[in-house]
Amino acid sequence: MNPRGGWVGKILRVDLTTRKISETSTFDYVPNFLGGRGLGAKICWDEVPPEVRAFDPENRLVIATGPLQGTLAPTSGRLMVLGKSPQSSPVESFTRSGIGGHFSPELKWAGYDAIIIRGKASKPIYLWITDQKAQILDATHLWGLDTYRTQEMIWKLHGNKTRVMVIGKAGENLSRIACILTDSGDASGQGGFGGVMGSKNLKAIAVHGTRSVDVAKPKELMKITHDIQALFSRKSLKNNPYEPEEKGFKYNIWGGGYGRGSLSLLPGELLDLCNEPSSGYSQNPDGCFACPVSCRSHVKGPDITSGVAFCAQSYMYLESMIHEPEKGYSKITWQAAKLADLLGINAYELMAIIPWLSDCYRAKLITEEETGLPLREIGSWRFIFTLLHKIASREGFGDLLAEGGQRAALKLGGKAEKLSLMYYPRAGNFGGYREHWVYLGGFPTGYAVPPLALMWVLDNRDAMVSHSYISMLWGAAFAIGQDALTAVPEKIFPLLKPVMKAAYGSEEAAEFLGPDGKSLNWKWVAPVVKRYHEHSLLKDSYIVCDILFPYLFNANTSDHVGDLSLESRLYSAVTGMEMGLKEAYQKGERLCTLERALAVRDGRTRKDDILHDLYFEKEDAGGRKYLQQDLERSKSEYYGLMGWDVETGIPTGRTLKRLGLKEVAEDLGKRGFQRKEELR
Amino acid sequence: MAKEVDRRTLLRGLTLCTLGLGGVFAFGDLLEILAFPSGQKIALAKTVIFTDKKLCSGCRICEMVCSNFNSNGRNSFFLARISVEKDYLKGDYRPKVCLQCADPPCLKACPVGALRVDHLKGTYARIVDEKACIGCQECVKACQQYFRPSRSKFDPQRKKAFKCHLCFGDPECVKFCPVGALRVERSERGFLVGYPVVQED
Repeated sequence: MNPRGGWVGKILRVDLTTRKISETSTFDYVPNFLGGRGLGAKICWDEVPPEVRAFDPENRLVIATGPLQGTLAPTSGRLMVLGKSPQSSPVESFTRSGIGGHFSPELKWAGYDAIIIRGKASKPIYLWITDQKAQILDATHLWGLDTYRTQEMIWKLHGNKTRVMVIGKAGENLSRIACILTDSGDASGQGGFGGVMGSKNLKAIAVHGTRSVDVAKPKELMKITHDIQALFSRKSLKNNPYEPEEKGFKYNIWGGGYGRGSLSLLPGELLDLCNEPSSGYSQNPDGCFACPVSCRSHVKGPDITSGVAFCAQSYMYLESMIHEPEKGYSKITWQAAKLADLLGINAYELMAIIPWLSDCYRAKLITEEETGLPLREIGSWRFIFTLLHKIASREGFGDLLAEGGQRAALKLGGKAEKLSLMYYPRAGNFGGYREHWVYLGGFPTGYAVPPLALMWVLDNRDAMVSHSYISMLWGAAFAIGQDALTAVPEKIFPLLKPVMKAAYGSEEAAEFLGPDGKSLNWKWVAPVVKRYHEHSLLKDSYIVCDILFPYLFNANTSDHVGDLSLESRLYSAVTGMEMGLKEAYQKGERLCTLERALAVRDGRTRKDDILHDLYFEKEDAGGRKYLQQDLERSKSEYYGLMGWDVETGIPTGRTLKRLGLKEVAEDLGKRGFQRKEELR
Repeated sequence: MAKEVDRRTLLRGLTLCTLGLGGVFAFGDLLEILAFPSGQKIALAKTVIFTDKKLCSGCRICEMVCSNFNSNGRNSFFLARISVEKDYLKGDYRPKVCLQCADPPCLKACPVGALRVDHLKGTYARIVDEKACIGCQECVKACQQYFRPSRSKFDPQRKKAFKCHLCFGDPECVKFCPVGALRVERSERGFLVGYPVVQED
């Protein structure tokens, strides 16, 4: 069956060394690899062999949209950035990074499904793409400018309908924790692809298109869109954009415990100012392209940098709230996040670096003199200002931190390294990413949930980026009035059962504690994590939002059962190609195995799928522990379910062939990653 | 019953407009106004779309649902009859809809009479009769004199003009706006809106 919509059919290839611009057909890759994360993985498999380092000109920067981008499909404002990541530590390895906002539809309207950038320009340049034309233009005058100013300069030239993906000083100076920013705060942070742009002397990618994306079944798309809107959002009250018109309705993100506008969650000086009409400060829910929820806040005021911030940016500098507790979330907390955006630093990584520095200072491992940082006043504006500028310009101690927290800690060694372990859970050669829900509710509080540990060891980045599983747990907890501090996991099991049955095929999977409440139940971990991976890969390949999809938990009904078919229904309506759930999960499995093969080729094996010992030593709030032998057993089960070699964690030749990845099997064989008996 | 728009009415309209009552309002028992020197009259629109930019989240769903619905599945901001003018850094988002002008410049500019009032659906919207349209873009130019961006647009692929026709009385953008920044108003008396009362909203 041929697609009748969705993809626009062309991939733009740019070689910055030779300045050659060409096109290939998207249909060389799709519908087999869907788009986004799947498409990018395939391109990286074909073009980025393990010898290529992240900052080599031969590394590819792949910017990939999926079939849904540029259409009405809810939350289709996303795209994926892929390539060899400089942030993965200590081994640079393939990873992906998502970005929301309004860039992706513009790229589709300009006539491209993806951009593949290779080579290195001889001087700073930017890429200007419009209606199936691309040009490499001089960016000498933009080099060194902050991310806002660069965009403003580009808008002056190409009009303000142009959307721009841009790097700041951090990216220019090849920081491994540099982000790519678009508009006022949407960023591709994890992975450090801002540094990859910098290594190519590529300051920005500007795009504007006036073409269109065809939708195969427009009426069907409208119907699904209507259904999705009804599930997730309601129109706002006239006087309060944060409150839904319909009383008692919960915006269905984060299990219903969270609504529009991220700032409304952060009480303090800034929110007070925004709530006072005469102050000149204001905040409004701000939507990514085609998003019915608008979970971010756009904040503005006379003496702050205006813009959107969400999650990582909002929580980046909570130290300021400890420094000045009476102010709560203050103008400084906000401005710190905006400074990171202006300089193009990944805010999420700073959430590890800052507390780690604080730990090191308290343990007297680093001093103010040798670092040049006002460590005595972590939480102050002077501290964050100095820190961020030093990182961005790689000055003094900032040069070390620009390598990312884990690399910096390895270099310092000794106790400083030990202190970093709790912020970077994954041991082995493929870490480098900050802790993210290894324990529900944060580490070391909250409670241990076995699937979270397995998700974490297997990912090639930080796990739980897809909020799916964790949102479901939170949703269940909120529904019975629990929060992170008061949670008693046994109480949510009855509520979770029907939800888990629908999402993961098993009621029993909801019981992640043993009957005594003291031990953890690992029985269902492997199948749950397999399904979680399939969901995540599909969501990132169609591309829809991490926070809304997969839709596991409905906060507004009594049984709380979500709807797993939403994404594939969107896909079917847009492309005109039927996609049942079973087929979708098979595709997810294939893409997950392909990503694994990419990591394997970079040298990853079973022994890299492991957490630091620390994570097996700490007890959760209920006195339970992750046990290493349990995790190892679940790993074996998972590898078995995926058809990967149980001893090595490498996808077997037979599995790869079954999944239609013959070329991957052959290449892995040639490189000696397959068992001999497999090769015959 | 119908009467002309006199100076007084106009002034009243402008005052109301500056008071920020939404840029769209109705009063009196007006049904049509004198628009052509020949004496031909144009009935006032009975349905219009209100916007409240304070609520707009800038998600552009209105644009997408419009082009998806009205351009047979071609999704693009370019084919949308509504557009969101955005200043991304300042967070200033303004949804721009066709005001269904009382004295519509687009309609008057059309050399072949392809623009007309939709009596059939009862909205009295100013619509483009695609069969009659010759693609000269005079309506686009006329609208542009008073409103930016022009609410009348040109589809280069089909070589026809298109504009908001209120989705036959049930605008999809209003239904799909997730925050309620858009709403429909209906009045049997008709609305004295758009040009000449409001020129740039």
